[in-house]
Amino acid sequence: MADAVKKPFRLGWEPALFLMLIAFPFLPIFESLFFTTTQRSLGDQMPTVFIFAILALGLNVVVGYTGILHLGIAAFFAIGAYTAGILTTAAYSFELPFYVALIVGPILAALLGLLLGAPTLRLRGDYLALVTLGFGEVTKSALTNLQSITAGTQGLGPVPPPALPGLDLDWASDYRPFYFLTLGILIAVVLLLRNIESSRLGRAWVALREDELAANCMGLNTAKLKLAAFALGSGLAGLAGVLYATRLTSTSEPNAYDFNRSIFMICCLILGGLGNRLGVLLGVFILVGFDNILCPIIDAQIQQAFPASGGKIYLQFTGWRLFVFGLALILMMRFRPEGIIPSCRMKHELHPNELVPVTVPGDRA
Amino acid sequence: MPIRLSIPLVALALVLIVGFAAGRRESTGDPTVIKVVSSLPRSGSARPQTDQIVNGIKLAFKEIGYRIELTDPVTQQKTPYRIDYFDLDDATAAAGQFTIEQEIANANQARMDPDVMAYIGTYNSGAAKVSMPILNRANLLMVSPANTAERLTKPDTNNRERHEPGCYRPSGVVNYCRVVPTDDLQSELSALWIRDLGCKKIYILDDNQTYGQGISNNVESFAKKYGFEVLGHQSIDSKSLEFSSMMTTIKGLKPDLIYFGGTTQSKAGQLFKDMVKVGMTCPMMGPDGCFEQVMADSASPDVFEKAKFYATFGGLPIDALKTLGGRGGEFIRGYKEEYGKDPLEAYSSYGYECGLVVIEALRQAGKKDRDAIRVAALTKIKNFVGATGTWSFDEQGDTTNQTMSGNEVAVTTNDKGERTAAYKFVKLLKK
Amino acid sequence: MLLAVEPALWNSLTQYLINGLTFGALIALIALGYTMVYGIVELINFAHGDLFMLGSFASLSLLALLGFGGLGFTATMTDASSFVIAGVLIGCAILSVLFCAGLNFAVEYTVYRPLRNAPKLAPLVSAIGVSFIFMNAGLFWGGPQDVNFPDLISNDNLLGKDAAIRITYKDVLIIAVTVPLMLALTIFVKVTRLGKAMRATAQNPTAASLMGIDTNFVISATFVIGGALAGAASLIYAVSMNTISYQMGFQNGLYAFTAAVLGGIGRIPGAVLGGLIIGLVRSFGSAFVGEMWVNALVFGILIIILIFRPTGLLGTPVREKV
Repeated sequence: MADAVKKPFRLGWEPALFLMLIAFPFLPIFESLFFTTTQRSLGDQMPTVFIFAILALGLNVVVGYTGILHLGIAAFFAIGAYTAGILTTAAYSFELPFYVALIVGPILAALLGLLLGAPTLRLRGDYLALVTLGFGEVTKSALTNLQSITAGTQGLGPVPPPALPGLDLDWASDYRPFYFLTLGILIAVVLLLRNIESSRLGRAWVALREDELAANCMGLNTAKLKLAAFALGSGLAGLAGVLYATRLTSTSEPNAYDFNRSIFMICCLILGGLGNRLGVLLGVFILVGFDNILCPIIDAQIQQAFPASGGKIYLQFTGWRLFVFGLALILMMRFRPEGIIPSCRMKHELHPNELVPVTVPGDRA
Repeated sequence: MPIRLSIPLVALALVLIVGFAAGRRESTGDPTVIKVVSSLPRSGSARPQTDQIVNGIKLAFKEIGYRIELTDPVTQQKTPYRIDYFDLDDATAAAGQFTIEQEIANANQARMDPDVMAYIGTYNSGAAKVSMPILNRANLLMVSPANTAERLTKPDTNNRERHEPGCYRPSGVVNYCRVVPTDDLQSELSALWIRDLGCKKIYILDDNQTYGQGISNNVESFAKKYGFEVLGHQSIDSKSLEFSSMMTTIKGLKPDLIYFGGTTQSKAGQLFKDMVKVGMTCPMMGPDGCFEQVMADSASPDVFEKAKFYATFGGLPIDALKTLGGRGGEFIRGYKEEYGKDPLEAYSSYGYECGLVVIEALRQAGKKDRDAIRVAALTKIKNFVGATGTWSFDEQGDTTNQTMSGNEVAVTTNDKGERTAAYKFVKLLKK
Repeated sequence: MLLAVEPALWNSLTQYLINGLTFGALIALIALGYTMVYGIVELINFAHGDLFMLGSFASLSLLALLGFGGLGFTATMTDASSFVIAGVLIGCAILSVLFCAGLNFAVEYTVYRPLRNAPKLAPLVSAIGVSFIFMNAGLFWGGPQDVNFPDLISNDNLLGKDAAIRITYKDVLIIAVTVPLMLALTIFVKVTRLGKAMRATAQNPTAASLMGIDTNFVISATFVIGGALAGAASLIYAVSMNTISYQMGFQNGLYAFTAAVLGGIGRIPGAVLGGLIIGLVRSFGSAFVGEMWVNALVFGILIIILIFRPTGLLGTPVREKV
């Protein structure tokens, strides 16, 4: 490579973001951040954010890359979580270590994705969306009713902490092992997607999204492409599910994997920027952060400041959660439908009159 | 390799510099404060019930002015503390009842805060299942005002679920106790009451949750033991909107009584309404999870006149407390003084009791130390004179209190001719 | 041998049929709102179910205002004469229909209209947003718990007190309102000028506007009619089920949406057929498979039907435009 021109190293937003996240536990500034939040409590919440980021990136493969509206991603998330539950908890005799679940969960979810996708991918847009929604409902129902396997609404638990070979870590009271585990997996997923995006497969997906007919005429096997996206997206959702159950120490209940979860993830994608990895990450950080970190803090403050305010739901900040979400979505669609950090293609599509240079995907990374 | 300056690079550098320059501040908590948290479903239809539980807890702390002076048993050193009470919600408005996720978040919040010394909760047994192991690892005392599922503290006699209750106590010690009697007693007394009502054939429904399924399975086995026929046992989907088809099926079997193992939040009201709607007049019975005013409000008084709704309760209702003497009457008077009305919901006295237990445990421990407080609660609370009688904790953390009551929804007409439905105490249940 | 089956089973089968048809008719009425809007602007109006929910709260508030028991108050009106009840019902019907139609119009005007030329995903996401806001409004209005809706109509069996089969006034009311409404809608779309304009706009909005049709007006009219149907459905639902909650819009909306797609979205008879199928599947499924499996059954059947008929039962296969 001696002849190659040395390009100057330029740090992009994505690596910068991850470097900041890696540095976070070492920074003393957050010891008492604001209100009652400490570095520990914030750090304790972050793995959940990372897990949802993986889920959103998986959904983005289907919705963002290939343009299929997928309304049932929560089902695959659930399959990952319950795989972890079945393989690792004491309720079953397997009691396998965490990393087995980490491998089996995504594979199982991907296979189910193929199983759902194979017969239904020839459906047109909205019908396909409804099938994914229906699949989500059927999965939720099955998880509730197959009590001998899933323990019904009680959920499987407690899921043991991920005992990694050769490492003796305090998973229960120290937030850092989980923080770095989930962050590491998230970074790996981002790298994987970055490479896929600029590969032949990634470019074929974009062609498919832009014009299925044209893509078909160019000799692309659209059915195979869609299936590949479905499998990859479902697999990533399954991966997130395994981590989620391990993090929560329980598979939670089937209702935690309902339509609302799927819609919430779609909202993350749309808010951040459909099809753009960095945008998706931002969307997840904003919405999950709002839901899991900001709302409880504000509610605790309100409760402390006005002890008499209890009882009226409109005096609680969480009571306004749906309203805030709804308004954000409507305003977003009205004024910036491409998301906060749009992918350049989306931007071009939504503002056809403005001249935006369209670049090869992966170039911005 | 040359490095080109970019905004992300600058941002990264800025964060790192500011982060390190700020210096480390210790967070070992506030040495003058003891925090007590409760985790109850504050959104959803359990709200009126939990409002009064929270009022009961607050009343207990209010009586000592939110201040406590602890005397170390060894050094005899006296330290004054302020008690801060936090009322956490383990339900979400979207779910309408507790969610496992929210309960875990609450348990983690309590565990991470070094000032939290006691955790009052939970309301639902299913919620306790997930927070118990977390709090157990943190060695934090947990006192429940309302969990009745017996498997949380007692092993399965049939040896089906051998990992219970051990899996809720990963550290091996007991940190969980409760002030209400458990479901094995409640379900046996329910079965006896059903027999006393003269019912021979019953149909059992449950809501498919820890508590509901547990108690209805118990009722089924006791029903068989006491020799009446169980026509069927079915779980419902508590998200379902109506049950008229299912009730049509049950109607065809002609039961003398329908038992529903579940709560008002898992559609007890709708089931009862649909039962009457398809033309059945047999009574329905539910456990303590249905013993709240919301149940009586969930249907028109007409409906409660067409068929009876009975609820058992793992303790005494407020009216019966007055007769008990001890601190029961004191509690009712104090409550009325503080909040201007009588405590209506039965569990409010158990909230108050939990507050008293926490205060007693703190006094007995004599220092702000989670382990000492836990040990004190489980070993020093014996023959305790509380609002619900005089009782002790056994070594598993269960109360020795064994009084139970049977109640029914009764319709009364006031002088304006308006009819309202409310629970009425019917009889004391004893073995 | 079917005929050898004992009469008790026949009676219960008939009862399941009645239960299924009445519930299905309600779902069909909501589904019409979905299918009309979809037919004309290709928008899955996620907020439709929640609009239905708000309609029932509007009725309940009117009842409370009139002193017939409302939010948090459960006295019934056994002494009120049937004449008064009829008046109250008509009042509620007018209010809920106007309320839902007006609200749907307002939402169309402020939220969807500016997005007319945006890609398809934009109005869909906005509809989800509107649905969230409606749900939040319902949460504040009625609280988080199930709310009892007063028993305005008697629950007595029309066939006699001890008859094996139950048909109540409520069942009759559902059929008496939904069937004429559906017929009227079908005739309206087929015969009137506005109906023709609607069909033209659905076919090709640009061509329709070139022919002098005010497409904006037509679209607004569609939303108003869809809203009015939701309003009517909300009252009948509340009166016959007696329970409303801020979450019922979601569940019923999901059923209705499924019904619309099952029948072939955009087709009015399709929505009716889909609604009835869902009602019957729920009713018979509860009896023969188990109450717990009803939802899985409904959506499982949906997936299977779509696999074999990708555009729904009555939908015509569409070729993608190039």
